[in-house]
Amino acid sequence: MRAGFDLEGLRVLARDGRPWKSLDELAGSEEARAWLESEFPRLAPLLRTDRRRAMGLVGAMLGMAALTSCGQPEEEVLPYVNMPEGLVAGNPLFFATSLPLGGIGRGAVVESREGRPVKVEGNPDHPLTRGASDAFMQADLLGLYDPDRSQTLTRRGTASSWDTFLGEAVPVLAKLGAREGEGLRLLTGAVTSPTFAAQVAGLRDIFPKLRWHRWQPIPPDNPREGARLAFGQTAEPRPRFDQARVILALDADFLGPEPAMPRFAADFAATRRVRRAGPETMSRLHAVEPLLTLTGVMADERLALRSSRIEAFARALGRRFGLGAPGPDLKDDEGRFLDAVARDLEGAGPAGLVVAGRGQPPAVHAIACLINAKLGAVGRTVEFLPPVEAEPVPHLASITDLARDMRAGRVEALFIVEANPVYDAPVDLAFEAAMERVPFRVRLALYDDETSAHCHWHVPAAHPLEAWSDLRGEDGTVGIVQPMIRPLWGGRTAHELLAVLGSNPGASARGLVEAYWREARAGDDFDAWWRAALQRGTVPNTALQPLAVTARTSDLPPPRFGSEEGLELHFPPDPAVYDGRYANNAWLQELPRPLTKQVWGNAVLIGPATASKLGLGDGDLAALALEGRTVEAPVIVQPGQAEETVGLTLGYGRSRLGAIGDGVGVNAYDLRTSQALWAAGGASLAPTGETADPPLIRTQDHHAMAGREIVKEATLATFVDDPNFVLGADDAPPDTTTLYPKWPYPGHAWGMSIDQTVCIGCNACVVACQAENNVPVVGPDEVARGREMHWLRVDRYYKGDPAEPLTLFQPVPCMQCEKAPCEPVCPVGAPVHDSEGLNAQVYNRCVGTRFCQSGCPYKVRRFNFFGYADDDAYANQGTEPFKAARNPEVTVRSRGVMEKCTYCVQRIQRTRIAAEVAGRQLEDGDIQTACQQACPTTAIVFGDLNEAGAEVVALKKEPHDYALLGELGTRPRTTYLARIRNPLSDEGEG
Amino acid sequence: MSAAAASSDASSSGSPGDSGTEGHLPPFVDRRDGYASVTKEVSDAVLERRPGRLWWLLLAFGGALTLLMLVSIAWLFYAGVGIWGVNTEVVWGFAIANYVWWIGIGNAGTLISSLLLLTRQKWRSSINRFAEAMTLFAAAIAGVFPIIHLGRPYLFYWLIPYPDVMEAWPQFKSPLVWDLWAILSYLIFSLLFWYTGAIPDFATLRDRAKGRIAQLAYGSLALGWRGSAHHWARYERYYWAMAAMGVPLVVSVHSVVGLDFAASLMPGWAETVFPPYFVVGAMFSGFAMVVTLAVPIRHALGLHDLITPRHFEAMAKIMVLGATVMGWSYLIEWFAAWYSGDIYERGLVVYEFVGDYWPLYWIMLFCNVLASQVFWFRPARYSIALIFVVSILVNLGMWLERLLIVINTLSHGFLPANWQTYAPTFWDVALLLGTLGFFFTLFLLLARFVPVVSMHEMRELVREEGAGR
Repeated sequence: MRAGFDLEGLRVLARDGRPWKSLDELAGSEEARAWLESEFPRLAPLLRTDRRRAMGLVGAMLGMAALTSCGQPEEEVLPYVNMPEGLVAGNPLFFATSLPLGGIGRGAVVESREGRPVKVEGNPDHPLTRGASDAFMQADLLGLYDPDRSQTLTRRGTASSWDTFLGEAVPVLAKLGAREGEGLRLLTGAVTSPTFAAQVAGLRDIFPKLRWHRWQPIPPDNPREGARLAFGQTAEPRPRFDQARVILALDADFLGPEPAMPRFAADFAATRRVRRAGPETMSRLHAVEPLLTLTGVMADERLALRSSRIEAFARALGRRFGLGAPGPDLKDDEGRFLDAVARDLEGAGPAGLVVAGRGQPPAVHAIACLINAKLGAVGRTVEFLPPVEAEPVPHLASITDLARDMRAGRVEALFIVEANPVYDAPVDLAFEAAMERVPFRVRLALYDDETSAHCHWHVPAAHPLEAWSDLRGEDGTVGIVQPMIRPLWGGRTAHELLAVLGSNPGASARGLVEAYWREARAGDDFDAWWRAALQRGTVPNTALQPLAVTARTSDLPPPRFGSEEGLELHFPPDPAVYDGRYANNAWLQELPRPLTKQVWGNAVLIGPATASKLGLGDGDLAALALEGRTVEAPVIVQPGQAEETVGLTLGYGRSRLGAIGDGVGVNAYDLRTSQALWAAGGASLAPTGETADPPLIRTQDHHAMAGREIVKEATLATFVDDPNFVLGADDAPPDTTTLYPKWPYPGHAWGMSIDQTVCIGCNACVVACQAENNVPVVGPDEVARGREMHWLRVDRYYKGDPAEPLTLFQPVPCMQCEKAPCEPVCPVGAPVHDSEGLNAQVYNRCVGTRFCQSGCPYKVRRFNFFGYADDDAYANQGTEPFKAARNPEVTVRSRGVMEKCTYCVQRIQRTRIAAEVAGRQLEDGDIQTACQQACPTTAIVFGDLNEAGAEVVALKKEPHDYALLGELGTRPRTTYLARIRNPLSDEGEG
Repeated sequence: MSAAAASSDASSSGSPGDSGTEGHLPPFVDRRDGYASVTKEVSDAVLERRPGRLWWLLLAFGGALTLLMLVSIAWLFYAGVGIWGVNTEVVWGFAIANYVWWIGIGNAGTLISSLLLLTRQKWRSSINRFAEAMTLFAAAIAGVFPIIHLGRPYLFYWLIPYPDVMEAWPQFKSPLVWDLWAILSYLIFSLLFWYTGAIPDFATLRDRAKGRIAQLAYGSLALGWRGSAHHWARYERYYWAMAAMGVPLVVSVHSVVGLDFAASLMPGWAETVFPPYFVVGAMFSGFAMVVTLAVPIRHALGLHDLITPRHFEAMAKIMVLGATVMGWSYLIEWFAAWYSGDIYERGLVVYEFVGDYWPLYWIMLFCNVLASQVFWFRPARYSIALIFVVSILVNLGMWLERLLIVINTLSHGFLPANWQTYAPTFWDVALLLGTLGFFFTLFLLLARFVPVVSMHEMRELVREEGAGR
């Protein structure tokens, strides 16, 4: 064996699995070395490495390892607010950027520490976010550090390189170029990036027959088509809820998972705040919807209706407003509701607004447009803008065309950017099989997922926080996307991939974006303008101008009603994983869904009567069938849902994503066809007789208030009559009930007010708190044991008839009691009261008796039963990349320690120090807690109770301010404003 | 020993054989017993008889469970308290229930020794030794739980006021700090009381021992006791003083345990009745445990002459008293909840009866209140088998009570959104069984090496009862 040496022999030796340090050792012979030297002369010096040289190599390796570790982006990035002379270690820098959801750019300000992004906030200068954010934006931070993101470019599953990719792609493209790009297809989601659009336009010079397909599972098709029906031109309605007095939402969940939610919610909340002065300005929201949504929860009047009846309802309403909208008659209760809505809308006139949901057919959107026009609301409560999407096409038609062409063999090369059609295209298109017929398939994506598995090339994409780009907001305002960090794993942007198609493979994304704007803005001093745009995060004067629209008089097309038979199955976007893109985000998977309070999965939602008819209850496993396709999923009985409807949110059941998302929940796309993207009649649901396994995991098991005055609520009329209605027998005892003198707080006295009237339960605060305070993820098993760690939770209660319940949200952070029951019981004094009234927890003093939590009436403390943050972290959550996401100002808690909300004491201290350095007083609004900053409706207000002019002081003087469990005498610093509703019946039917 | 066997037959039949001749209650000590026979009966069990196969089997069993306890604690320290069934709302579970239960059991020994001594209840002499040992063992086991239930048990010493450089002191407002001192004082007291009470008996064993090792061991323990009149005079004074200290200690340790709960705001805990209620509960469960232990010890060591049906009768009376007081305590809780009009208290009482743990609550009521009511009837008080069964029911019921106090309140607090149930894990159960096994093992060793009945007090009783000669 020694004598006859060959490479095959070496391979055989290596295959038995023995570790080997060198080929020499592996072969164990001088001959081997001699042979290697002659065969690979360039390797020969390495084989004769001496000690000195080995040390040198090790040193070089260390140096290079340090070089490749994450750092600031190579290109210059301009800070947003502070522009220090140089980076001061320990001080955060803030950069403006935009983060996409469904192609829409949402302006963000990212806090960066020593080159690491650690927190995302809304950009106050961006019209969509205006300083607020939502759960998705908050969680994008965790996505950046996700080690499951693909880290290498692969060719048919094996690691490859960008150069190899170019070597293969360039000849293919050259061949296609010779045929004018016949057979070259590009598939993306909705694209609003002007640079991207310009790049595609440029590509058309080389490939005139290039086709650009669009697909995202929550497509913007129906509103556009509705506007076209109504006005004869391509437009998108843009509601302006702040202008509306009466709103009718036809299955429109504008407060739910929706890219423009922060804007909509803020506008809506602006009309909803009830104060002692001028309560009558409160708007009224009517909702007609099949599933209970956050919009339905906020509605003052709500009608649960099957989707198939909603078009009938809309048409009847249209007829009421004199439109030619043929349709069936309404049932009695529907008719009564319609009368009331119609009268209310008529009364509001131009301040009325009808919005329809994406899932409603174009005719309903057209009716909404036309009624708005009749009301004179166009230009006031609703504007019509050109679509923000570049080169808008109907997504469903586009993906259907692509699938057809692929099957027909007309596609030579397919470049997929971010879209994930193998997972989320309509199941009847059989996209995966069709795609196999394309000879050259390239995918650029964050994850090597279902679609990448079926592509020849997978190119890792840069995360939006690593990338250069530009994105339009929902009103068209362009935000520049700038990287906060160099790509952790060498991801490429879509612009760079398009540059390859455009025979310019060396182009950098920054260069492309900057070049576009240099050209688009023909003016002097581009550099200063560009710096300003980067600093602000938005490009001035890019909002789209409203179109002048005129209503067409022709009749609407006859209705195409879905089946009234059987159950009606709905596919709403998920409040945590949206369409599946966030399925690998542990913060979102562990985020209690606003209504069901489910975590780590989805469930079949059915109404209470349907549940009892089918013999199903919470946690039962049921078989859901549609057109011969079946999935099995756990059941949740959802109060307020229209009977005979079934809801199953999109985005779960991922099969090839990562350690967090794989196998969680049930894939609704398996049932979703191109005929019924949003809702399908004729579904059936049957019990399997089994309990779901893995079981249904929810963070709240009890849904009624058990007769307790926990969320106080009243109608607006009651409030006007008796503003002090919240004062009950169980209210906080007056100061005189104690013999002790009132404890003085001479300096600051921090307090918080939470307005339950405008809290929409969206969870932005919960994720913001998690990001700010390094709150660990515990994983599904631990949540099932009741050990979730969120410092701030949103309790949800139902009141009244389960068929038409009143749903109440109550965000519960620590109440920071002045007489805190947790403090005196701790034997080591870990919970201490500070001089400004904060109920602080000294983590390194805590020995873990849990006495504080057992005595806490609000149960807001959280215990590290295991080392969730480090040794016992769930799945990959303890790995190195995630540690970079942590806020260095907040201690990471160890096993056996109790932790809790601190009113973001680190923010208080940071702001106080900054004010002291600047030699000025702290002013109201200087300090924002993380939950407050994220809240899109400004429901949470924090401030100094000793500052007479502070907003929080004014709010606590409102008559409907009350303390939760105030009768216990805990004197909470966090108080609530009662929920005020504005139902119609109060006005005595007009 | 044949006489003992005969009398055991009589007593286990349930009818007091020699009471007929007297027309009166049967005696606490057999009339035929004298100093010598009493001493022989007790000391032979330690010195003469070799441990039988049964003893070894039981020791193996107890040892196995002790091992389980040690493994449970080791795994707990390694993995963290997350191995238990506790959760964010029900942050306390078996550990705290076990702690309260064990400390309750640790109550009766001192009560029997001190209170009955002070009230000159002479019948205590035959049971006080092992009752005191029971106290010592139970209190020691109880003292372990508050430490191991900590999230960071290695820092338990932070509860002790020691001069540390950070000048950080314990928080004296916390009932847990009071608890530390209460348990510590109680443990020290129990150890001293038990040990000093046994010094004359150790001297007896020293004198009767034949082996050199036993002579040395018992001789050391006897601290040079010679039985002189001076010794006895000082001993009596000292012992009575200790007894007088013991009674308030029993009350304080249990009141403090009650305060652990009562110092909070939680419904079902924040009740002024808690301290006395805990003292009564402790006495009740402790007496039940004494009975549970007395029956097998009497049988295994052949102490039928020394632990007579009269003793069981007396203890049965105490059990029926305890059960009745417990019943009253429950009634007061329910009444107070209703009368206060407090929606949370009322909600909790309803929850206790029909909520998630309702079967446990009903079982508890049966065991703690109803089962002992059978002792209103005289024949029941003389049926050792029945007394034994009821005592076990009371032990179970009292353990359930402690568990339910913890988990009912925490599962059903103020905010319904937080309501969550508790379920123990394997390790919860393992630790409970392990500590029971450890307790059992300690008793086996005690029975082997220490006289389980106080010989010198029995001799005194024999003299006072005018028995034999």
